[in-house]
Amino acid sequence: MSIRLPSSLWRRLMRKRSFCLSAGFLLLLALVAVLAPMLAPHAPNDQNLLEVLLPPFWADGGSLDYPLGTDGLGQCVLSRLLYGTRIVVVIAITAPVGAALLGCVLALLGGYHSGWLNWAIDRFVDIWLSFPSVLLALILMVALSPGLQNVILAIIFVDWARFCRVIKAEVLVIRRREYVAAARISGASIYGVIKREVLPGIVPSLIALMALEISIAVVAESVLSFAGMSVGPGTPTWGAMISDGLGSMYSSPYPLLLPVLMMILTVLAATFLGQGLSEATDVRALERSGAA
Amino acid sequence: MNTTSATEPNIAMVLIARPARLIWLLLRQALWRMPMLIIISLVVFVILRGIPVDPLNMLVPPNASSADIARLSHQLGLDRPVLVQYGYWLLAALHGDFGISIQTGTAVTAMILEALPTTLQLLGAGFAAGLVMGLGSGLLSFHLRGTRFEPAIMTLNGIMIAIPDYLWAIVLIISLGVGLQWLPFVGPIDAALQVRKLTGFTLLDSLLSGNAAAFASVVSHLALPALALGLCVATPIARMLHASLAEVYHEDYIHAARLRGVAEKPLLLRHALRNAALPTIALIGVQASVIIGGTLLIETIFGLPGIGALMLRALGAFDMQTIQALAVVYAITVQIVNLVISWALQRINPRLRSSP
Amino acid sequence: MFERLNAVEPPDMHIIETPFKASNAHPLAALTATPDRAPVLTLESVSVTARTSGADSVVLRDLSLTLAAGKTLGLVGESGAGKSMLGRILSRQLPEGFKVTSGTVDFAGQDLLQVSTEQHRQWLGTRIAFIPQEPMSALNPLMTIGQQMTEHLLRIGVGALECPERAILALEQVRLPRAAAILQQYPYELSGGMCQRVMIAMAFASLPALVISDEATTALDVSSQAHIISLLRGLQEQHGTAVLFVTHDMGLATHACDDVAVLYAGEIMETGPASRLFSAMRHPYTQALRQAIPEMTGPLIRLKPLAGQMPGVESFPDLGGCRFETRCQYAVELCKQRPPILQSLPDGQSVRCSRWAQIDLSAITPDVLGEHTPGQAMSGLQILQIKGLSRTWPGQRSWFGRKPGVEALKPLDLSVAPGEFIGIVGGSGSGKSTLARLIMGLEQPSSGTLILNDQALNFGEKDWRRRISSIQMIFQDARAALNPKRRVGRLLTQAMESHAHLHSERSARAIELAANVGLARSAIERYPTQLSGGQRQRVNIGRSLCDMPQILIADEIVSGLDVSVQAQIMNLLLDLRKEHKFSLLLISHDLAVVRYLCSRVLVLHQGEVVESGDTEQVLSNPRHPYTQALIASVPPTRSDAVWRAATPSDH
Repeated sequence: MSIRLPSSLWRRLMRKRSFCLSAGFLLLLALVAVLAPMLAPHAPNDQNLLEVLLPPFWADGGSLDYPLGTDGLGQCVLSRLLYGTRIVVVIAITAPVGAALLGCVLALLGGYHSGWLNWAIDRFVDIWLSFPSVLLALILMVALSPGLQNVILAIIFVDWARFCRVIKAEVLVIRRREYVAAARISGASIYGVIKREVLPGIVPSLIALMALEISIAVVAESVLSFAGMSVGPGTPTWGAMISDGLGSMYSSPYPLLLPVLMMILTVLAATFLGQGLSEATDVRALERSGAA
Repeated sequence: MNTTSATEPNIAMVLIARPARLIWLLLRQALWRMPMLIIISLVVFVILRGIPVDPLNMLVPPNASSADIARLSHQLGLDRPVLVQYGYWLLAALHGDFGISIQTGTAVTAMILEALPTTLQLLGAGFAAGLVMGLGSGLLSFHLRGTRFEPAIMTLNGIMIAIPDYLWAIVLIISLGVGLQWLPFVGPIDAALQVRKLTGFTLLDSLLSGNAAAFASVVSHLALPALALGLCVATPIARMLHASLAEVYHEDYIHAARLRGVAEKPLLLRHALRNAALPTIALIGVQASVIIGGTLLIETIFGLPGIGALMLRALGAFDMQTIQALAVVYAITVQIVNLVISWALQRINPRLRSSP
Repeated sequence: MFERLNAVEPPDMHIIETPFKASNAHPLAALTATPDRAPVLTLESVSVTARTSGADSVVLRDLSLTLAAGKTLGLVGESGAGKSMLGRILSRQLPEGFKVTSGTVDFAGQDLLQVSTEQHRQWLGTRIAFIPQEPMSALNPLMTIGQQMTEHLLRIGVGALECPERAILALEQVRLPRAAAILQQYPYELSGGMCQRVMIAMAFASLPALVISDEATTALDVSSQAHIISLLRGLQEQHGTAVLFVTHDMGLATHACDDVAVLYAGEIMETGPASRLFSAMRHPYTQALRQAIPEMTGPLIRLKPLAGQMPGVESFPDLGGCRFETRCQYAVELCKQRPPILQSLPDGQSVRCSRWAQIDLSAITPDVLGEHTPGQAMSGLQILQIKGLSRTWPGQRSWFGRKPGVEALKPLDLSVAPGEFIGIVGGSGSGKSTLARLIMGLEQPSSGTLILNDQALNFGEKDWRRRISSIQMIFQDARAALNPKRRVGRLLTQAMESHAHLHSERSARAIELAANVGLARSAIERYPTQLSGGQRQRVNIGRSLCDMPQILIADEIVSGLDVSVQAQIMNLLLDLRKEHKFSLLLISHDLAVVRYLCSRVLVLHQGEVVESGDTEQVLSNPRHPYTQALIASVPPTRSDAVWRAATPSDH
């Protein structure tokens, strides 16, 4: 994100411990994703049928060969987790950007076109939001073939509507502000108004929505993987690990527990990142503190 | 007095018109939702045409000639434009005929009717559990405002709100199911027990047939999935209720009521709660599609034979007819929940009742 | 009327020193506590301290008041003077960090600060009642008027069976027609004036000893204001209620109250009978206020605004002496050193000024301030001609086509000459803001043409450029009209953004404009939220002047400002007119403001011009009944003039 943040904002953010921790965690995740081939002790799909369902090294019967144990097919859990990070990170970056772009463009179109286009966009947003997004994504993945690109497309196709609704509401509010009318009678063109008056106004909401979308997209991908309709069987993902882990839950909980834990940590980190950002950029809060 | 008379509506008209207006509003809302259902089904229909697997290949025997295939294709209408095909599908669907499942060879409608009660039962139990937990913790956290418990509850809520439903399901299975072994987590009822099928709703059927053991078993089997679903309903409700109560307490009418000497308890129950309930109920409407989508995985994880499990099987088998029909069923469910929500909002807020 | 009552006698003889504490004879005691009227409320040296970021700050200092049964005490002051604080003390609703640190509040023989919380709550609504500022939002939107009345009646001890009857009776007492029907209605179905009547009915239902009205008429139209005041006066007389009347409107206070206390920066500066306060004032601040208020009648005198603004709560600890000293034209070194005390004078007034006896307020008379003429046409040219301009809101769609639309503005003709200031007056919903937006081109008219500099104005891009280079608008709410994320310098020169300009050129223009509208140069680098309301309005005006327009449209630009700031802005507009020779269309509900600025006036009522012409003529000899009612509803500033709209006999 190439959004220039004022230095006071940075200071406010850095003072929040939850923000620092979650941002640190997500950065670490990205680093792990890049370095996965160097960090992983095994190839993620190597099966060792002699050593299935090994516990992690600290438990009885564990070995440092497989630090976090093996799953039902004798695959190294740690290696699969590390490689799974790659999908998570790619999704966490592309899906929010794509959904935000599509949503914002449609929101601005709708907000500035008061005729049939606005009506049509509104109705489509209504329809999209009234249909379970998990379901829509699954149906899309059935029609498209498995693959990372298609997963990203499916998530964007499903999640743009939330951006569109929130951003459009903001655009309409800002459009009605007197300072926009003032800009117009100062001779600003529509693009000038959008660039200088409207866009700066929607940035806080946009940041908050994108942070929220990180966790939503990551969860959506894991659901698709869980249902076996994501990137395909050859690529390890956390969702697929959870799905496999459920089957061998009684014999060994670790292949289930560890990816679930990673998912929860990632989702929490993304959520707290979003909360920190939206609190720090909340104009109303800023004005309140400025007025007091 | 000339300043006031102009703005007064005719009171007799208002009184008579209110109930009639409410019914009309609800009817109009229901009608207004029909085109949405049609568009959803059309979108799904068009998407499903993109399935890489040719449905004909599954229907014809391997030794069929190309002429046979063409004849069958014509028979099924697959050689016509997509919109025409959709028209035929819609016409049949309006008569309750969703076609034959290529997966099982049985009528899709019958399969859905068989599975639907399980899902609705889960949804009902999940909503009920969620409402109780959400309203309870929201009120509790507001009651504890200003103490050190308030931020603690809100932080916990912030953590819980982030965890998606299917992870809750797994966390609950691992902790309460496998770990503590408090509650069962596989299937709708103990394998040894049987319930005579009357309505399809196992809770109701076991009660009606007076089978206490079966009822207890159904309840205990429903507990974890309902809790998993309920947690996803409860956390946003609690957060919203807490926030809107805090906001409502800054409103002029609360201040004015306090200046009239209204005590804190009636202030909360009579003045604040109803006002704070408005955004909270509206939020449930917004969340409805997420919650209903959540049943999909929860059913699969807990081995409940509902439409979610049916859907996942159909998706795996490229069973177009079933997928299409189930998509419509899900859409209708969401619309019904939203209809109930808007009815509830209109009950509470007089402004929504009378706005033209 | 500016004469001093006791000018001949040596002033020192009449000063009764009131020490800060421990005195039973406080300044107003002699005035209001007549034997038959026992004091209902007595405040003695009450101080409220606020914990601000730095040192503790005395928000309310040494407040002493007496309010007798059946009397109305006005508490007047500009925003930030602390006039709402007294109501908050009585209701125990002080903001967080605020505390009563000294003094006693005696309510009917008991110390209100000492009684238990439960006892205090019992008194609220029964013995002490409040009338709120915003009647529409003070009623629960989800409950009918009947439900809320019943709740209150049950609480004050009316039996459940009697409630409906009592509720109707109470509503009839506040002269609400068809009371039974109103009980079934929700607050949003009533007008602001009707809601306020409901609130008054609830306040008086328990026949309380004390009613506190905090800006109860501020949110209402002027015409309902007069009705509410007369209603309040009537009920008070009938039941012998003591009323504490908090307001920012000095004119209103002189007519609605028996006694008035003027607050400035948390201190009472002057008290006295309402009838004499503005004719025989003793404090320089009261005098300054008086000189800043435009009048409805009499000669047009140039207003003399107070420079600067009231110190904020944060700066109270730094004010060692008189809190008005920084803005006082009579201040001497002594004023900085020691806070003056409130001295009561034998004629019933009291004043907090150590130099009141030395300064001669009568020296500033109308002739010293100078006559003044409002903005008149500078030539016979017509720069803007409006012909048949109208706006109709499309009706709602129904099954059988559309319902008939609402005419926000009926066809209107108007022409504007250079330098002419034209007032457009009307109540809310009169279409005056619609007219402004139509002329500016922010809305499309349903019919009519504009001719700007002898050329018809259409809706193409070229005509839009022509329009905005000749016509500019000053928006009503300066806070909303200035993008909070941009600096003042950029905002002032916003009009230069549509063309390429050198950075230096733009900065130079910003400095020039800032100087023009009386802003300090340092303000250029600030954000709008860092400015005061008056400063923001100056930025707003400066921005509209950037491209040197011929016509300015000003929509209620002084309505939200305090009187002294209002006078500053009005004089600024007149001074700028001399320099730039622009015309002004002033949209306002305030007739006195229009009289001060405009040579011509249009009165709009329900989208229609009901009267127009020379301002003086229209105001002194109104022909249309609406104009007559509008003029009558304004409380005259002169206390000896009768405010006819609020005299009960009118009903």
